Amino acid sequence: MTTPLIKAEKVSKIFSVGGMFGAKKYIKAVDGVDLEIGENEILALVGESGCGKSTLGRLMLALLKPSSGSVSYYINHEYKDVWSLKGKEFREYRRNAQLIPQDPYSTLNPMKKVISALTPPLLRYKIARNRREAKKMAAELLEIVGLSPPEDFFERFPCRLSGGQLQRIAIARAISVKPKFIVADEAVSMLDASLRIEILNLLLNIRKSLKTAYLFITHDLAIARYFARNERIAIMYLGNIVEMGRTEEIIQNPLHPYTQTLLATVPIPDPKLARKRELPKLRSLEIPSLISPPPGCKFNTRCPYAESICEKKVPELKEVKGRLVACHLF
Amino acid sequence: MTMKWIIKRTATAILTVYIVITITFFLIRLLPGSFIEMMIYYYMTQYGMSEIEAEEMVYSLYGIAPKKPVWEQYIDYICGLLRGDWGKCYITGIPVLEALFYGLPWTVFLLSISMTISFALGVGLGILMAYRRGGILDNASSVFASISRATPNFILGLLLLYFLTIYYPIFPSRGSYDISIKPGFTLEFISSVLYHSFLPIMAYVITSVGGWMLAMRGSAIRVLGEDYVIAAEARGLKSGRIARTYVGRNAILPLFASFAISLGYMFGGSVFIETYFAYNGIGHIIGLAMSWRDYPLIQGGFLLITLAVVLSNFIADLLYGKLDPRVRRGGMYS
Amino acid sequence: MVCIPKLRKGKIMRGLKSFLRYHILEPLKILASDKRALVGLSIVIFYVLMVAVGRLFIPLDLTPHREKRYLGPSWEHPLGTDFAGRDILAQIVHGGRDVLPVAFLTGFVTIAIGTAIGITSGYVGGKLDLAITTFIDIFLTIPGFPLLMVVAVWLLQSGIPINIFIIACVLSITAWAGLARSVRAQVLSIREEAFIEAARCLGLSRFHIVFNEILPNVMPYIAINFMLSSVSAIYSYTGLQALGLIPYEPGTWGAMISMAQAYVGTITGAGCWYVLAPSITIIVLQVGLVFLSQGIDKIFNPRLRER
Repeated sequence: MTTPLIKAEKVSKIFSVGGMFGAKKYIKAVDGVDLEIGENEILALVGESGCGKSTLGRLMLALLKPSSGSVSYYINHEYKDVWSLKGKEFREYRRNAQLIPQDPYSTLNPMKKVISALTPPLLRYKIARNRREAKKMAAELLEIVGLSPPEDFFERFPCRLSGGQLQRIAIARAISVKPKFIVADEAVSMLDASLRIEILNLLLNIRKSLKTAYLFITHDLAIARYFARNERIAIMYLGNIVEMGRTEEIIQNPLHPYTQTLLATVPIPDPKLARKRELPKLRSLEIPSLISPPPGCKFNTRCPYAESICEKKVPELKEVKGRLVACHLF
Repeated sequence: MTMKWIIKRTATAILTVYIVITITFFLIRLLPGSFIEMMIYYYMTQYGMSEIEAEEMVYSLYGIAPKKPVWEQYIDYICGLLRGDWGKCYITGIPVLEALFYGLPWTVFLLSISMTISFALGVGLGILMAYRRGGILDNASSVFASISRATPNFILGLLLLYFLTIYYPIFPSRGSYDISIKPGFTLEFISSVLYHSFLPIMAYVITSVGGWMLAMRGSAIRVLGEDYVIAAEARGLKSGRIARTYVGRNAILPLFASFAISLGYMFGGSVFIETYFAYNGIGHIIGLAMSWRDYPLIQGGFLLITLAVVLSNFIADLLYGKLDPRVRRGGMYS
Repeated sequence: MVCIPKLRKGKIMRGLKSFLRYHILEPLKILASDKRALVGLSIVIFYVLMVAVGRLFIPLDLTPHREKRYLGPSWEHPLGTDFAGRDILAQIVHGGRDVLPVAFLTGFVTIAIGTAIGITSGYVGGKLDLAITTFIDIFLTIPGFPLLMVVAVWLLQSGIPINIFIIACVLSITAWAGLARSVRAQVLSIREEAFIEAARCLGLSRFHIVFNEILPNVMPYIAINFMLSSVSAIYSYTGLQALGLIPYEPGTWGAMISMAQAYVGTITGAGCWYVLAPSITIIVLQVGLVFLSQGIDKIFNPRLRER
């Protein structure tokens, strides 16, 4: 791996719910996660909804402040905590770390035309010198994301565009500032299945031309496998990364019981193969509450292989067969 | 309903009254010295008092004790209010509270009836409009509601007074009952009271029903779009039952929030309406105080109206909290 | 050298044209598509024209003519005459010269205060938000018109010169809280929207986020509240004049209402016109503003704005 562009060290995020009336409760959405993403690299982050993957993405973008631990960005030949960055350095980081959000329908301001969504960042970072140049660049961006002729889209309001078109505009806006790192948070999950591959390929093409790195967040292993082929994948469960390594290796031979369960849920087109597949027998289908997670390994209440140590000790991520796994079995 | 919520709500109510008291206190303190001197001069020339007498008169009227520091006066003022010492009327010398209590029952009578009619009518018509939205009935009613909302109550009062007591003398123009009838629990007296209160109540109801209609219409349309109502319709429940149990209750609840505003508006109008019809309520008394510039009485009236509005709003909120499980569990802002 | 001013002029003209098209002409077109809004708009434009231009055509003569008291409508006096034999129509046409400026100025002061407080409360959040919401709740409970009466009596006695601006500020005391509350609620929900997060992630300034992302979304509330606070300003202004708490010039609507009130018992014959004319004048203006406020949110609804 090349030098990481951005890394998370023991980063945690605790949300408090309630308060004012009744007792305050705390949710540990992200629990001591280590993560590194190198230049032009893809890391697919997979987990069920509510496992903290979106929160982790927002921590990487400094949209949320970590409760403990840090997210550092490689700038001026050293790693600096993104929350300690000031002035010019912070601006550079902001420009270089972008987000493609989940819901295309709420990503654009409903009261503003498409052109007014595209030009402010170009002017803000002086990528364009004036409005006319910004408009020209916006047109080029729309061409890149496959919306042509661009002039047709400039004066439209978001409510008059389809989900796919909106997502393309969101992508155009994110890449307009030529970022080095993009968090794609469920970027295709709200789109029609027929559109997904197109958008995924668009993101991959952008990676080729802009040399961007991706943190690709999804709940769908099949999509993660497609997007992060020959790259890395990380499996997240209740705020922890339980397994991380080369995509093909993990898909072919999952080690963590949770990864095995996740893989078992991916439909297999061949019924013969599907019948032969061994399903790990979960002890419970209920996902434990984040407010009071079980002690020890958080998966122990459901894990078919759970032993007594699993209820006592939190497993560390350790290297097994060329990947990282957090499980007492290994 | 949690205890905490009640405590918080009570604290807000008390804070409201406290702020109003503070406003009235400092408004007087903020009057420039020249005004006080002018008043002293006025008493010296008009009533032939000596300077000291006139000074004492003015200071006691405005509750000013020039020798004490301001904060002590402030505490005295609040303690006086709590003890029921609201100052004396400027002209008649009657204690303010006594003068106001004389009119209070009549105003409470008028406003409670008007408010009930207006609320019930507005809610009923509002639901009807929501069900028939887009139809002729809805359009006609919402034009009427807009006109009702837009008409100042003092102008409607004036029109009713002129056209129904002077131009066509159908209703009595003065008083809250026929003074030739002895007050008592007799049919004659009660019918006289109702007869005299008809026009004032009309004036209140017509100018406030529109607001309730529009609010209820909007609220009911929102509720009608909710999944549970659609589900109830899909289950084949009778529309009358849906209207009562699902829409009615859930749509009325948000209206409690505008209770204080509506009641405050009606109290404001009472100054005109009671004056027009020479009705013996506090609005009439405050109206007279206005024309005499009787500041202690005006201020006392304002305090009493505020207390009434805060108290009714508090009750409305408690009711709301009892009816709405969301408030019972959580907070106002959660 | 000669070319530069020409070029600039062309640019300004083009800017002006697009401004007129997008901010005046198109909104008006959409307004006109709604019947009630069109009626409201016509009423308001008619009143503004009447107050601004009408008085150039109809002179105001306030000299009493005892022999012409309480005349009915005629060619000479289309709305009859008042208790001193003066033309009512002329008083109606001239009588809005103080009410309309007060109403619109109050509207502006109210939306300025209400929006600033609402956005601050919703966007900053935390303890400040809690303090402001409590304050708003308290202000919404304090009965508005009675408070205005106390303040007006105080204002009269304090000797502060009473001008339109002071009146507008006083009338806004009771109007800002409602707007602040709805703006705050809006900002709270908008703040959580994905497009705000996107703007933050793009590093756009706080100024840009507040004024270019949030403000357009609360515009409908601001516009509606502008109309509604004008409505309540007209109510309070004429009401306080009728109580004699705000001084009025003769020949204004407030003066007419006040006089009609004072003389109501002695009005005879065709005198009903003196009661009716100012009442209907004020009611129609109020209805126009309410209609306009009901239709105005459609201007800002982009779904209708685009063909």
